[in-house]
Amino acid sequence: MSHAAAGAIDHHHDPSTSTGIPNKKLFMWAFLASDCMFFGSLISTHLVYRLNPIEGNPGPTDLFDIELTSFSTFILLMSSLMMALSVSAIQKGNISSTRRCLLTTMFFGLIFLGCQVYEFSHFVHEKGLTLSSSIFGSTFYVLTGTHGCHVAVGVLWLALMYVRTFKPAGGVSSMAWLGKTLLHSAALVLTMVLLVDLTLGLVHAIAEDGLSGAAFAHFAGSHVVSLAATVVTVFGLKVLGKDRGAVDFGEAHAIDVESMGLYWHFVDIVWIVIFTVVYLVEYVPLI
Amino acid sequence: MDIPLPQTAHEHGKFRIFMQVAMFLAVVTGIEIVIIFVPVSDFVQYSVLAFLSVIKFLAVIFYFMHLRWDKAFCTLLFFIGLILGGGTLGALVSLFWEDRTSATADAVAIAPIEVESVKLV
Repeated sequence: MSHAAAGAIDHHHDPSTSTGIPNKKLFMWAFLASDCMFFGSLISTHLVYRLNPIEGNPGPTDLFDIELTSFSTFILLMSSLMMALSVSAIQKGNISSTRRCLLTTMFFGLIFLGCQVYEFSHFVHEKGLTLSSSIFGSTFYVLTGTHGCHVAVGVLWLALMYVRTFKPAGGVSSMAWLGKTLLHSAALVLTMVLLVDLTLGLVHAIAEDGLSGAAFAHFAGSHVVSLAATVVTVFGLKVLGKDRGAVDFGEAHAIDVESMGLYWHFVDIVWIVIFTVVYLVEYVPLI
Repeated sequence: MDIPLPQTAHEHGKFRIFMQVAMFLAVVTGIEIVIIFVPVSDFVQYSVLAFLSVIKFLAVIFYFMHLRWDKAFCTLLFFIGLILGGGTLGALVSLFWEDRTSATADAVAIAPIEVESVKLV
């Protein structure tokens, strides 16, 4: 039940385990520790080749759009806030607030992915930086692309968790639940694809015409179908997301949301490092 | 596991903490962007960027990831991975930093060598 006995569970300690830490949380921390080493090696590789630039490497500051990267960094930080609020909401047993926060986190994650797709596309088509054109291209795409994959996995996980919050509490046939879940998931995935497409279009329009009314008019004109389809899918999500009684998701499942939150925040801290090490330091002359 | 908690008020206070941390992170990110354009010495810029990144990193792991409220073992476990990953990074960068300085000195004496492209079959 969603609001039953809210605040009755200690979410930081579990006396039933030998460590006193919930097993799911312990597993996630161990996984994140291993992922630290994974990203550590990728960042090292990038830095080593930046310290020893090979002839033919492009100048990163000629490629980078620091305004766009700063914007996506800000968006990812705010998605972390929404994720933290989502965990806080489920720990109080507030399902509707959890859903809203999960959706907002997903939305911010998709904007980040849209900006990254735009950046990659811009580098490949307009700057000629490909995975094999230079060592810089190889290490840059592998590092930021791996991070992007982590974000994409996080968004997918958020979507699954969001759909899971609607699982009815008993008395419902599994086929009906499965059918509705599939429909809900399809609507969610379609909305995600459309949102990435719209973000991409908007960033492209702003890059072409600057931050002006003309850019928005150009964007709206060239994305009429996507905008209409997004309105339809968001409406569909609203209908499918209507509260229809008790659900089999509540404060007792907070550990699942918290584990997912740990993963999402980890993606955020990796970006904090990448933003400084890959982007910002390029604007400071080498010591 | 259903232990009544005396910490409900503390849970309610988290919203305020999270908002403050988010605002702090946004401001620090702004400072990071500004600092790269400020005409100060490179050393100051590198130091400030490194310091601010570490602060942001710690703010996220201790507040958003709840390490502040969790058992110390979680912090220990994560920091083992972090130290190993960071140590690898530090070791490789310092190793090739030396390589870089010697390569720069060599480049003055040795003319560039043309490398023949290799065709893979």
